[in-house]
Amino acid sequence: MSSETIVTPGRRLGLLEEHDAGAGTYVRSGMIYSSILGTKTITTSETSEKPIIQVDRKSPLAIPSIGSEVLCRVIRMNPRAASVAIMMVGSTPCQEDFMGTIRHQDIRSTEKDSVQMINSFRPGDVVRAEVISLGDQRSYYLATTKNEHGVVFAQSTAGNTMIPVSWEEMQDPKTKAIEKRKCAKVF
Amino acid sequence: MATNAMDRRRINGPQRTVEPIYSKDTDPFASGRKDSRSLDQVRPIYMKTGPLSTQANDLSASSAAAASGSAFYEQGNIRVSCAVYGPRQGRKSNTRMGSFDCDFRYAPFSCSWKKRSHVRGADEKEISLMLEHAIAPAIRLDAYPKACIDAFVTVIESDGKSATIAAAINCISAALVDAGIEMYDSVAACSMGLWESQWVADCSQAEENVSSSTMIIAYMPSADEVTYMLQHGKTSPDQTDQAVQTCINMCTRVYAVLCRGLQASISE
Repeated sequence: MSSETIVTPGRRLGLLEEHDAGAGTYVRSGMIYSSILGTKTITTSETSEKPIIQVDRKSPLAIPSIGSEVLCRVIRMNPRAASVAIMMVGSTPCQEDFMGTIRHQDIRSTEKDSVQMINSFRPGDVVRAEVISLGDQRSYYLATTKNEHGVVFAQSTAGNTMIPVSWEEMQDPKTKAIEKRKCAKVF
Repeated sequence: MATNAMDRRRINGPQRTVEPIYSKDTDPFASGRKDSRSLDQVRPIYMKTGPLSTQANDLSASSAAAASGSAFYEQGNIRVSCAVYGPRQGRKSNTRMGSFDCDFRYAPFSCSWKKRSHVRGADEKEISLMLEHAIAPAIRLDAYPKACIDAFVTVIESDGKSATIAAAINCISAALVDAGIEMYDSVAACSMGLWESQWVADCSQAEENVSSSTMIIAYMPSADEVTYMLQHGKTSPDQTDQAVQTCINMCTRVYAVLCRGLQASISE
């Protein structure tokens, strides 16, 4: 690896007329600059006519933004909302947990009025959700309205890992007990 | 007559007085600098990134407490370490921009001129704010909405107050880059002292004691922007102008050293 391809923040990478700015770069007065320490790569794509300059880093930092898919654990809940700790953003684990909130109107897209919090999540469940808003003072607002979002891992009261049997139910394979959850569609 | 006038109830001075013996070297500038540096030469720099942060492949349970990025920085006798945490959930939330907080501490044994207590002093708070102001313009805070980036700086050994602050700025820059925080540019800083009418770069404590004025400048070379400037003491406008120019030139040289060190840190 030659030192030519390793760039530090503030290094000029190219002109905006000739390239598009990718990840790890920023644009100032028509020039593309690197914003992180990493290796400079130029990729060409079919969608845009200009090659994309980006700076790659080994371990990207995870920070939730609107529209990103997150994996979180339910910490505590009340009839109106569930507090969750965001553990992963996309496929990157967070160094420290971010706090999130799933409000009861954001659990599913239909029949919102009949949704009951206790029939959707329980503390300890691992939930896949989408960030819909940066939220209030201390938490991000999350939603599980999409089919592929919802509980992906849950344990029954007996302590066994349950398997989903329908959109709204999960079953303990040992005791055959059925508990209610808002299940995620398994890919 | 004189004995009568003396008031015996008070502590009286000696009757016979002599002139004190003055030290011979009244001019400390004449013999040059102790470590035979030239006047615009910065002390040699050693830098290492990642002493307090774990490697990327080591995602064990203990890594939750590890810093996202860290750096150790040496400049002559000055030794500074810095740990950067974040972007993590902020205490004060600003939904559009992230925030950068800095905590500057002298270790209790770090200063030759003063014994430090564990309680955070007023000067440490002031320097923390200075460092925040010097570094924050370089961070792309718009890329981290609602998040908070914290830098904890510890001075392990200090040699020259203003030179230590400049070293702390360089150390934070290196730690931020190590953490992978998006930045417009790294900030490089350096300090100067005024000896009579001559500016001298990167003063040690002994040199700073005899200087009448000091200057610290933090500078982003690629953006060509001065992020922070602090002057103590009285100078003429021309002298200040000269100091700013010289400091910027030295910052560019320090920046080159920083960049080379950072490049080496990921190429190995």
